[in-house]
Amino acid sequence: MEALQLPATLDALGPIRDYVSEASKKAGLERKAAYNLKLAIDEIATNVILHGYEEAGLSGEIKISFEMNDEKIVLVLEDRGKPYDSRRHEDPSEADLELPLEERAIGGLGIFLALKGVDGFDYQSENGNNRNVFSMNRPN
Amino acid sequence: MFQSTGEIIDGVAKITLKGELDAAASGQFKDTIEKMAEQNPKKVVMFMEELDFMASSGLRVLIFAKQKMGAGVDIHLIGCQEPVLNSLEMSGFHHSVYLQETYSEV
Repeated sequence: MEALQLPATLDALGPIRDYVSEASKKAGLERKAAYNLKLAIDEIATNVILHGYEEAGLSGEIKISFEMNDEKIVLVLEDRGKPYDSRRHEDPSEADLELPLEERAIGGLGIFLALKGVDGFDYQSENGNNRNVFSMNRPN
Repeated sequence: MFQSTGEIIDGVAKITLKGELDAAASGQFKDTIEKMAEQNPKKVVMFMEELDFMASSGLRVLIFAKQKMGAGVDIHLIGCQEPVLNSLEMSGFHHSVYLQETYSEV
């Protein structure tokens, strides 16, 4: 499966999810794992597009590629927007998650849901190239 | 592809969500909520059976709905698919909305 490279706008989200679904199918991931991987990549891609590019006044492309071995599938989301390491994001607290919706702050859930759902997540930023790396273990 | 439609019947806002609710689609969902909120419904029922995907941008619109309609207006989510239900529960939304498998008019 060849890498997919698209202009970094919200219109890229649908094709990126389709790419992830196809890769998950090739890796034989179960339905729940496939959904969690798709959700994680959608959330981080959304942040890259909205915060890394649009809010920063930048435009460019977003690229997704995948590889797998016997143990796991690895998807890499690359961009050249403003760098952001999602691992630095502070998860909502237990108390935050129990607040009634009318008292909630709007936001803060995307990265939380994304990183909870995958088996591995890594981030590198070098020479203007940002890489969000997601991995899922393949079923035995 | 995402679709949200709504109508008010006897003071109850009935909203149907279909497809994939991501950041590109959440504006459409928010518009539907705003249109429903103008008519001050006493209750909101969302039919979720055909909603295949929901990102956090969809969760944010649910927070917006609760804040726009008011704490006294109950929100019922009907027939959520399992992964969508999982996101709602992980985010603690089950404390604030009613999650039901089927809807009955009572």
